[in-house]
Amino acid sequence: MAILKRSALLILLTLYTAFAAGPFVWAAMLSLRTTTEIHRDHFALPNPVHWEKFPDAWYNSNYSVYFANSLQVVLAAVVVLTLVGAMAAHCLARYRFRLNRTIYFILFSTIIFPPQITIISLFQILVSYGLYNSKIGLTLVYVAIQLPLTIYILESFFARIPNDLFDAARMDGYSDFEIFWRIAFPVALPAIATTVILNFILLWNEFLFAVVLITDESNRTLPLGIQRFIGDTQEDVGMIATGLMIAIIPVIVVYAFFSERLIQGMTAGAVK
Amino acid sequence: MAIVTLDSLTKTYEHTGRPAVEDVSLEIGDGELMVLLGPSGCGKTTTLRMIAGLESISSGTLSIDGRVVNRVPAKDRDIAMVFQSYALYPHMSVKENLAFGLRRRSIAKAEIERRVANVADVLGLKDLLHRRPHALSGGQRQRVALGRAIVRDPKVFLFDEPLSNLDAALRVSTRGEIASLHRRLGATMIYVTHDQVEAMTLGTRICIMSSGRVEQVGSPIDVYRYPANTFVAGFLGNPPMNLLETRVVEGGDARSIQLGGETVRLGVDRVPESRAGTPVTFGIRPEHVAVAPAGAASVAVTTEIQQIERLGAETVVIAHLAASGHRLVIRHTGDLEKRPGDDLVVWLDLAQAHVFDAEGDSLTARIDRRT
Repeated sequence: MAILKRSALLILLTLYTAFAAGPFVWAAMLSLRTTTEIHRDHFALPNPVHWEKFPDAWYNSNYSVYFANSLQVVLAAVVVLTLVGAMAAHCLARYRFRLNRTIYFILFSTIIFPPQITIISLFQILVSYGLYNSKIGLTLVYVAIQLPLTIYILESFFARIPNDLFDAARMDGYSDFEIFWRIAFPVALPAIATTVILNFILLWNEFLFAVVLITDESNRTLPLGIQRFIGDTQEDVGMIATGLMIAIIPVIVVYAFFSERLIQGMTAGAVK
Repeated sequence: MAIVTLDSLTKTYEHTGRPAVEDVSLEIGDGELMVLLGPSGCGKTTTLRMIAGLESISSGTLSIDGRVVNRVPAKDRDIAMVFQSYALYPHMSVKENLAFGLRRRSIAKAEIERRVANVADVLGLKDLLHRRPHALSGGQRQRVALGRAIVRDPKVFLFDEPLSNLDAALRVSTRGEIASLHRRLGATMIYVTHDQVEAMTLGTRICIMSSGRVEQVGSPIDVYRYPANTFVAGFLGNPPMNLLETRVVEGGDARSIQLGGETVRLGVDRVPESRAGTPVTFGIRPEHVAVAPAGAASVAVTTEIQQIERLGAETVVIAHLAASGHRLVIRHTGDLEKRPGDDLVVWLDLAQAHVFDAEGDSLTARIDRRT
């Protein structure tokens, strides 16, 4: 009976994995084939394997620039989001002050608005501050759109850190900022890792704001770069797939690096 | 070494408007272990947190060695505290936990190492220095928390219910460790608990609190023997003192009360100034109610057994006085061959009895203290 149950579970998991990983494997295969080969047979194995497509995309199709732009914008945004988000969450969770819950509610309520409604005003703001078509402008927008969710996730975690820890650190002679930096931040690392991964993946793949706020070729991010291969009448499917694979690598690296912490964060009871 | 003086200390929280601690005055002598004892919400932890500097003081003064420290931040009061939840930093090893407070105080690295090693040695933490708190048992965590306080060598130690998260056996042994620590260090310690066994066994003196106020301060045995009021009488002791509401006999001797349908003469000492008819509370501890005559001053009353608990070494009987219906708990050493519903004649040892006035204040404690 137990074996039957186990086998059923195994089959179910295999099917689910195939379902989830299938498109990824397919895109990986497409990335190693030319567009002509792909048009001949959509599902064939790469034969011959066109490894040269990767350096070709990187150097000749400007992916190196898009990649560097994405990396700069997303890393800067994630660093600012993590630091500001953690500090804000710590304050909201720990300190009693007038309007604490009102601020929290206002921050949280912005999550429910669809991002599209802010695009035109953001465009205007960036233009008037000379930040349109710049990486700094896009970074600031990314910070603004992701900050409420970051604070929301972190606040609930920070609120669960027992106050005694902070009291003990106060008695040990540490200032409020040191307590945040040396106690609250490291203790909340599982939750912080969760927001790092979440923000990194969301922003790495972000297209809507980037396409509106960046038009300059030298400032394009990866999603915009991939879009360049989609023309009005035809698209270079092979190159798009290669671009996708290049784009996906950092996400996999970040996930692999932080995944254990992510799981800890999601299954938390971590503070005891 | 330090003397801690609380003078009319009051704490009122803005959101409640009611004082959580009211007019608490207390002096804790050098090297004394003062236990703040009381039920949950009586203000003992708030008092401790005010001493620690973790809670602001609404009014009154707090001084350490004569220096008023009301506005001195926690870190500059030279006080260490052991928390109920241990409050060990979960991301640091035992060693880092012990050294964390020292590193802030610009102490030389070698000295920190020496002190940490010393404390680890004393508390048996040597082999655990590189472990994180989550890899320690409850008892070990408790010892690290103690170590973190000791390593700082502070003027005053504060303990906030440090044993309440331990199981019964560990609680007894850790209690012993704290007692020996106090003897060895000779430091001033303030210890908050709601457990009267801890209070009785550890305290040099006990301060019993209720509703934010001090009810009585004294040595454990004094407080047990001479409770200042019905709250203390009912709080200390397990089972607690029997408190029977009655009156001074009308038209009779001013020192006689009505008890179980009988007039009981309490003796010269017991009711000094009460007038006939005054409501009083008669108090007697369960161990001073005997199934056989005990002493010349004992008086017999008839009871009906409601419940009987045979514990082996002793038997606890819950009975009602046949005449008045008053509930009476009796603690009998050894076994007692009785059953619920049986009648039982018991002797109240009046030499050990207490009388409280209508406000609950003891009329007898004052006399006993004078003698």
